[in-house]
Amino acid sequence: MSEREPPDPLAGLGERIDRARAQHVRREPATGDRAALQQGVGFGFRIGLELVVAIGVATALGWAIDHWLGTRPWGIIILFFLGIAAGMLNVYRAVSGINAPVGYRYPPSTPGGDLEDEDEN
Amino acid sequence: MAIELRPLEQFAIERIVPLHIGGIDVSYTNAALMMTIAVVAATTLMVVATRRAALVPGRWQSVAEMLYEFVADMVDSNIGQGGRQFFPFVFTLFAFILFANLLGMIPYSYTTTSQIIVTFALAAVVFILVTAIGIIRHGFYFLSLFVPQGVPKVLLLLLVPIELLSYCIRPFTLSIRLFANMLAGHTMLAIFGGFAASLGILAFFPTAINVLLVGLEFLVAVLQAYVFAILTCLYLGEAVHLH
Repeated sequence: MSEREPPDPLAGLGERIDRARAQHVRREPATGDRAALQQGVGFGFRIGLELVVAIGVATALGWAIDHWLGTRPWGIIILFFLGIAAGMLNVYRAVSGINAPVGYRYPPSTPGGDLEDEDEN
Repeated sequence: MAIELRPLEQFAIERIVPLHIGGIDVSYTNAALMMTIAVVAATTLMVVATRRAALVPGRWQSVAEMLYEFVADMVDSNIGQGGRQFFPFVFTLFAFILFANLLGMIPYSYTTTSQIIVTFALAAVVFILVTAIGIIRHGFYFLSLFVPQGVPKVLLLLLVPIELLSYCIRPFTLSIRLFANMLAGHTMLAIFGGFAASLGILAFFPTAINVLLVGLEFLVAVLQAYVFAILTCLYLGEAVHLH
């Protein structure tokens, strides 16, 4: 049985893996519609959350500052509006695909990364 | 006969081993038990799967390798250069959340990630780590993250607080996203389950919806672990490279 050279079990493996991968990619567009819808729903949920949490946290912070420093109602008012701004900023960044970097620096050359992937929600 | 609907009962914390140290309640609870199980399960999977590593992987090894490649891809494409040193952290985080979420899908088990204190602790660890790495790597220059470029000086008075705020909000969005998704999903399952129990012959409809919801919940469980991990990667990448 083992007289002839045993066939290399890995001979066609790379090729087979490549073929399987290619098939996988080809199959994806078929389910694209539903996947896109689900992604959209998830993304929408994330956007809403981003805005609400920003305002909520900022307002709570303002309330706490007022409580400690006795500056009622200025802390809560100022931080409420700052919270709206921060929430809008986060939403804008998430939507325009630069995800969540703080600061306006657009990466001149992305370090081996795709920063405009929006498929995470 | 009325059946009581208590969809939130499943999130109750119960003490398994009551323990008080110095007036602080450190009891071993059902949530702690599920976290222990999640850690043990994830560790066991990785250890067993890689113990007899073969060139052509078996079933378990395939799972482990898929998990590894998935996270490695995520780390590489989102942190980029010098990202691999954070791989163990991201992988641990992802595996823990994934297992906690999926174990929560087993009937009568407990979803630890539906407790905001658990998700917030995870998010706080991420936040502190990211900030610490940024400061260690860049020193005071890290603060330049909050100063937008090419903006008139007067506007900086307004913009720096906004940037600072949007940075500090991250642990909250990170934790609330995971917690809210798990809490809402499991509550919904319990509500429709309660409908099915109280409707008698019409129970078919809520049951059918529940079957669909269970599928959706599995998707959410995996997706939220992924989202948590990928956002961690993005934050880490930002602290490392400062753009």
